[in-house]
Amino acid sequence: MSKLPEELIELLKDPATSKIVGTIDEDGTPHLVAKGSLTTLDEESIVFAEGFEGTQSNRNLVRSIWFDRRVSVNITRGLTSYQVKGRPYKYLITGSTFRQMINRARERRGQEADIAGVWVIVPEEIRNESPALRAREVAEKRGGFHNHLDVLRPKE
Amino acid sequence: MSATQELGLQALVEKYPDVPMSIILKLDLQRRGISFTDATADATNEPYYRGPEQTAFSSKDTTQRPFPGPLLLRDGTSVLASPVKGQFSDPYSVDYVDGKFFVFDKGERIDEVDFSPRPEFYGKLTSRGVPMESIAWSRPQRLDIYPYRYCHYWDTRDQCKFCAFFTDLKKQKQLAGDSYAKVVHPEDIYETVREALREPGRFSQINLTAGTDYSGDVPFEKEVERYIEVLQAIGRNFRTRRFPSQLIAPAYTKQQVKRLYDETGLSSYCPDIEVWDKELFKRICPGKEKWFGRDYWIKSAVDAVEIFGKGNVYTNFVAGVEFSQPDGFTSIEQALDSNFEACEYFAKNGVIYLSLVWTPWKGTGLAGQKQPPLEYYVRLIRGLVEIRRHYGLASDNDDFKHCGNHGDSDLERLN
Repeated sequence: MSKLPEELIELLKDPATSKIVGTIDEDGTPHLVAKGSLTTLDEESIVFAEGFEGTQSNRNLVRSIWFDRRVSVNITRGLTSYQVKGRPYKYLITGSTFRQMINRARERRGQEADIAGVWVIVPEEIRNESPALRAREVAEKRGGFHNHLDVLRPKE
Repeated sequence: MSATQELGLQALVEKYPDVPMSIILKLDLQRRGISFTDATADATNEPYYRGPEQTAFSSKDTTQRPFPGPLLLRDGTSVLASPVKGQFSDPYSVDYVDGKFFVFDKGERIDEVDFSPRPEFYGKLTSRGVPMESIAWSRPQRLDIYPYRYCHYWDTRDQCKFCAFFTDLKKQKQLAGDSYAKVVHPEDIYETVREALREPGRFSQINLTAGTDYSGDVPFEKEVERYIEVLQAIGRNFRTRRFPSQLIAPAYTKQQVKRLYDETGLSSYCPDIEVWDKELFKRICPGKEKWFGRDYWIKSAVDAVEIFGKGNVYTNFVAGVEFSQPDGFTSIEQALDSNFEACEYFAKNGVIYLSLVWTPWKGTGLAGQKQPPLEYYVRLIRGLVEIRRHYGLASDNDDFKHCGNHGDSDLERLN
């Protein structure tokens, strides 16, 4: 595994960042859930806590680790956004990382907060989805033919 | 057995794409057994993993190091398999390479695995001076307690023919000293559970089982009283009336089961049928046949659903023992039909019929007998899950993270 980009690490560790996990239902429908616990502990993989075994998201993650399917994670704060595509590598139900994550959950949500397990995602593709960067890339690739004309007027 | 060619792990992964590799691997790890390399034995002997000094399982080999507990596969599946030397002819090997554990088969690396850490209550003593690690043992998310370490079926040589439990009681006494008796004091259990619960997120279920004691004015009455006392002691650790728990015990009368439910916080009851076929039950489980026969065991499980509720009563069977000779099944189809009939009957009545893989342990009445091929187990668990799904049953109390014995309940994670 290689180290995640510094900017992404900082976003992942910031509790104020919006973190969305995307999985695929059995029928192919995308399923998105917000995961406040999502972070990186080793700066190489992404981890997040799962609250319950039977949720749609967790079943999709189990299907992904069993049948080698990818999942997506979106990490956004303000106008900075990343998409990480990867594979679930482990589901932890005990051990030091599990302990760390349950302690974090209890620090955030009180001593009765509970988690069922911790997913470890190994990134395979990291894409900066920040709008400014996307705009520059599109302009370079496709030209400016899709801009609205009013934005091309001289500044008043 | 009419198997033409026995398919291995990879071939079965390709043949049954709806069954994940991890679960087929688990079945085969249990079927063929495991061995530890020296590096693994050393690594699991370190403080993070080190297992208990003594368990209820028999072993005459005093050179073996403490076993760290079930294997953990990457998807969280726990695998109850122990590296008992001299038991297995073709075991998988668990090696420790660059700080990680891996399963190997004949030199080929199969996958990364792990073990759960040593629980923090190991190494501590109860107020009566009893080592807590002699009272309870840890699985990845389950606390196992054996309140009575003796099975009276052995007194009359009526023990289950596959059983390797409690056969080395003398050694256990030597290991624990004079403070360790076959009856565990409920206060020691209370204190051990209290200590175990201090560890955040470490346990989500308590499991009780023991050797059978049929004594009492009403048969099994002393045993039921003992379980009630123990469960009440455990229950003092919780603020809820009921706590996630399972009792694997003999078949009791409805009145006895009701007492267990009404007077304790027990949430699940599991009288194990072991083998479904009527004639095989008589031969393989002579003690259960004597006290009081297959029909009684079945009725006890079904009646218990009225008390514990649908899906909270289980009965395990030792999958593969139905092939044991002299009069076991000789075809896979025959064995599947028998087990699916059992699963259907129990599921219709709200009982979960769960499989576990038979190991013909040396020292048991079936030592040296041939196990069925791996494909039998794959077909078996697919069929069992399908039947239970039809009846709206899921084995949450005995699932991938709690027990480590049941490939069929592992497969229910997608339900």
